[in-house]
Amino acid sequence: MTKITIATALLIALPVQALAADLSVLPAHIRTDPFGQIVAADRAAAVPPAKQITLVSARGAYASCRIVVSGAQPAAYSVSASGELAAELYREWFHFLPKSKLYYPDALIPAALPHKAQLPDAANHIQGQTAQSYWLDIWIPESATPGVQALTVSLDSGGVKSSVPIRVEVLDAVVPAEDPIVIDHNSYGTSWFAGQYPELAKRTPNFYLSDPFFGLIHAYHRVFMEHRGIYHQLGYGHGGKTAAEFAPRLEGSGKTKRVADWTLYDKHYGPLLDGSAFAGTRRGARPIPYVYLPVNPEWPASFLWWGEPGYEREFVNVMREMEAHFREKGWTKTKYELFFNHKKRYKAFHWDGDETRFLNDLPVFVEYHRLMKTAIPPASPVKWLFRTDASWQMERQFKEQAGIIDFWVVGGGMFNWYAENAPLLKVRGDTVWTYGGTPDVDKPASHITLDMLRPWMLGVDGFVRWQTVIPGPDPWFKFSGGGETLVYPGGRFGIDAPLASVRLKLQRNALQDLALLDSLKSAIPPASLRAEAAKRYNGTTPADWRSARPKLADSDPLTWDNVTIGDALPPDPRFESGVDAAAWDRVRGYVISLVKERRP
Amino acid sequence: MITAALVVLLAAPPAAQDPLAAELDQIARTASSMVDGDVVRRIQTPRSVATILDKNPRDQWAAADNYDVDHAAFIATKKTLIRLSRLCTATCDVNLWLPVPGAPDRIHIAIRNVNEMSQFWRWGDLHQPMPAEMKAVLETGRRQTVKRRPGMVSVLAPVYDSLGDIAGLVEVVAAPKANPQENVK
Repeated sequence: MTKITIATALLIALPVQALAADLSVLPAHIRTDPFGQIVAADRAAAVPPAKQITLVSARGAYASCRIVVSGAQPAAYSVSASGELAAELYREWFHFLPKSKLYYPDALIPAALPHKAQLPDAANHIQGQTAQSYWLDIWIPESATPGVQALTVSLDSGGVKSSVPIRVEVLDAVVPAEDPIVIDHNSYGTSWFAGQYPELAKRTPNFYLSDPFFGLIHAYHRVFMEHRGIYHQLGYGHGGKTAAEFAPRLEGSGKTKRVADWTLYDKHYGPLLDGSAFAGTRRGARPIPYVYLPVNPEWPASFLWWGEPGYEREFVNVMREMEAHFREKGWTKTKYELFFNHKKRYKAFHWDGDETRFLNDLPVFVEYHRLMKTAIPPASPVKWLFRTDASWQMERQFKEQAGIIDFWVVGGGMFNWYAENAPLLKVRGDTVWTYGGTPDVDKPASHITLDMLRPWMLGVDGFVRWQTVIPGPDPWFKFSGGGETLVYPGGRFGIDAPLASVRLKLQRNALQDLALLDSLKSAIPPASLRAEAAKRYNGTTPADWRSARPKLADSDPLTWDNVTIGDALPPDPRFESGVDAAAWDRVRGYVISLVKERRP
Repeated sequence: MITAALVVLLAAPPAAQDPLAAELDQIARTASSMVDGDVVRRIQTPRSVATILDKNPRDQWAAADNYDVDHAAFIATKKTLIRLSRLCTATCDVNLWLPVPGAPDRIHIAIRNVNEMSQFWRWGDLHQPMPAEMKAVLETGRRQTVKRRPGMVSVLAPVYDSLGDIAGLVEVVAAPKANPQENVK
């Protein structure tokens, strides 16, 4: 973040051709390629690059747009910004997608202002590159004075200067700090750290025990938290292997089993559970709202004792120690998730903890619930949830596991058949998230917002992106599309931390809008808000966001397969090609209009 | 029939040269005696056996989605494997492998353990081509020491049923320098 004040633009004269580069501005949801063209996915909603732009924003939020430097000839240039509001500039990396032979921008490299660069960008290796795009974030603090503020972005290329004025209309309203929809970014373990940060791992002795390692974990939490999301790292494998940084070290067996050492666990989780890992961020120091427990069928109790008194003794003793540790540390703002990720197809355990399909597996959940209730005093300030990720049997599980499971993470498509359960689950105090993937970069820019708008339409609490930190073997020059990542390793640019992406920022901005929209529910009937949002988004009604219950849902899930399920969930073009790049911008326009109407 | 099995055990080749391989060989030999081949034949449910070879071009997960086990047989066998693994002085797992009925050239891992180590299993495979070393164990009853992957040693040993037939095999596998972060996924 750079606080720009007037006249800080120190424009460096560079030995290049005159009139080498030009400056223009685009709305945040319209992406360009390295040749200055609107990317194919956003073209249906394209607007021409402009020489000025007006951004409207509530306070306590970011306003964003895209800056494009273009020039037919190679040129060195400098970009600067001036104004009272804090501006953060990011250079957009153009990822080459071999499948389409097209470039899409996504990774965002922080560019300190004033920012000096060259066109073409030598690092991006794009033959014939004639345009470089930037993401510009403008932070509107809660303390900002409502009204119009100005910011100017200037370009100096070979002594030839140009600028684009950015008019920022600051509203009275403040974006609520809490989101109506939790967007969770999931991941597994830390083995991928060494591969994604090879230089850091190489220069750090005992990397996986080092401060830089734990700093990197915290940096991942931070990048998602700063973008109004949360981050989950599952700390055990399908066979119950638990990495040292995810669980306290245990010793003993049977009645002597106990926690021997909290050092690595506390180093990992302490700053997350007390919130200090987020100090200095825009969102402030705040404990993470949810965290996986390391509990699995092999931890803390050995599976060797399953069904015997020793299993209960080991489980209860260690979980009591964990509860006491969290309580004594004051780590009581976070919800601790008892969650089983294993599947019997991976051959380590006899039951499916995840996406349970066979009904004779359900009693195992009852037993773990009993063990947890035995271990954790009911009046404990340490709050735990029993989470399950459900698909095949979710409707049956909603009924049969009432009082056992209180945190449901359900397949987004299939849940549409059973969405009438949402209010019932909410009434009994359960938390409900849907889950799914992440749109590739070559989908229209607004597709990233579908996964927050749909849960809001259905009246559930959140959405899990199942994998969000794996950009693939070569995201920089042979990109597979980004369906499993919203961040990129920064090591290539000398940054030992994850880089945010265009998609992550589009999601953040939409979450800001959704929080504002949801806050109006006390004044405007929620049904009305939903109806207008759906209409503006893709010309639908709220009913269109649900699927009719198919015949399949009334048959035995053991007879289903992915073909019959797919047939019962036919693609709906209104939620594919019908969502253009500007879909969310139209919703945003609605939110802004409502907020303006209610200005005191 | 037990006698026949013991004869095969005694006829097994001497342990490999290095101490770790020798230790694993002793555990594998013990496993041949301790793991109940009749029970292991009951691990996979008949419904799952019937579908494990299913191939559906529109549903690559069909067989995996139908993979199911008999709880009692699985638990009893897994506990035996865990006990055997505790005999190791190095980080060690004892895995169970079973032939795939109706596919003599295929084998599947039926039980894995906490370190998720194997020199043979490709992560996520429901079943896979029969490695030559496993084929040899199933055909001859002789234990095999395998060092395919750097830093890992496995000893394969047969599992017998009450008729003296080989029902499957165990893989006793150790990696003295196992990566603590690997397989946490």
